[in-house]
Amino acid sequence: MSSTSQKHKDFVAEPMGEKPVMALAGIGEVLGKRLEEKGFDKAYVVLGQFLVLKKEEELFRDWLKDTCGANAKQQERRRTSSP
Amino acid sequence: MPFVEDPAHLSKARLKSDLVAHNVALPPAASKKEVYVELHLRNIEQKNAAEFSSDDEEQTQEEAGRNEDPEVTQVPDPSKLTDECLKAALLKHGVKAGPIVASTRALYEKKLRKLLLHSNGDGELNGAEKAELYSDSEEEQEEEEEPDEESVSEEEQQKPKETKKIQSENNKAELKFHRGDFSYQQCFLLSSRLRAVPSRNGKPCSKRHSKNVLKSSERSQSSCSQILAGISKPSATGQHSGLRSALPQEKVKNILKEALPETKTTTTRIYATPRRPIKGAAQRPIQYSLPHTLVSPVTLERREVERRLVSIHIQILFFVFVACIIFFIYVNVQDSTVLALLDSLSHCFDKEGGTLLLPETEDTQALYEQD
Repeated sequence: MSSTSQKHKDFVAEPMGEKPVMALAGIGEVLGKRLEEKGFDKAYVVLGQFLVLKKEEELFRDWLKDTCGANAKQQERRRTSSP
Repeated sequence: MPFVEDPAHLSKARLKSDLVAHNVALPPAASKKEVYVELHLRNIEQKNAAEFSSDDEEQTQEEAGRNEDPEVTQVPDPSKLTDECLKAALLKHGVKAGPIVASTRALYEKKLRKLLLHSNGDGELNGAEKAELYSDSEEEQEEEEEPDEESVSEEEQQKPKETKKIQSENNKAELKFHRGDFSYQQCFLLSSRLRAVPSRNGKPCSKRHSKNVLKSSERSQSSCSQILAGISKPSATGQHSGLRSALPQEKVKNILKEALPETKTTTTRIYATPRRPIKGAAQRPIQYSLPHTLVSPVTLERREVERRLVSIHIQILFFVFVACIIFFIYVNVQDSTVLALLDSLSHCFDKEGGTLLLPETEDTQALYEQD
């Protein structure tokens, strides 16, 4: 497992609560905007999507690619940041 | 066109069983293989010819429909399917799909398209290679099935059949690779199951821990299908990319490493453990396990002393007060009032008839006169 960034550490240090989707590790301004346009404005909504896909990495990766054009590393970060 | 094995390549036992299957009288036991081969050729060829000419629906369907099957029976356009149909179609390919909702529908459609493409490609390849597959690997498959079925419970027996179906679609090389995987999976599933169950029984004490264990045992039971499906999925979809074929291997290794020491099993390599609550955060009052009364003995002594100090003051005052009274009495002894008191006292004693007291009073008078 690669080492985690500061953003990742901050995100997993406490319950995500109402954190915006840009607080996710690997989601910056651009990708965050795209997600928000699609209606995924909070981190928990992205978590919800992951759960609806039955916690399957492959599917989640595909979904993220389709939705916001994130590359593989960003998707991995997002997957690991959600508990 | 059904495969025609060359009987000469088959073993004697195989020839025997074939003859029995076709209801042909067996030659005497000690006869040579050639005899068997001859009989085999004679009888089974006849049978095949008969089958060809008969109007056997299944045969014609199998032959003619083999290439068309994947296209015709499975609805080609996933986007035109209803949610239910899409789910059923995915299930046919061995993919257990989650809820098909607005956000997930596009994904599952894409997935079905991919599967259809692969299955079509496989169908064409298989026709040519099945002869090889059958003759070489059937025995191996049979051998594998027996030990597996003995050691595996009912649930898992269904899964081998499913995965066998999917495996039969792949290439020969892939087949061997997956068989390796498959045997791994069996061992892993068994061990994880065995471990999950006793741990559940043995630890009912702490809430969190039992929740974990229950979750893991549930997960391990439900993940029988998931894991096999999950690993067969990459095998089905990732034939052509070298990277993807490495994935199931990695997954198996990871799962083995991490599942054997722990009882948690996941298909996604995500291991979720509940975090210890942060003390003092989120309005969780900090509760010290030890009481405040645990203090050093020095402070205890000090407190006792302090307690006494208060009473000591009172004691001292009282003592001083009493001392003052006595002093005053001593000082006032010279006054007449005190003498009068003493006289009255002596009178009392006289009345009682104490002659001894008289000289005493005289003594006291003499003393006072001296003062």
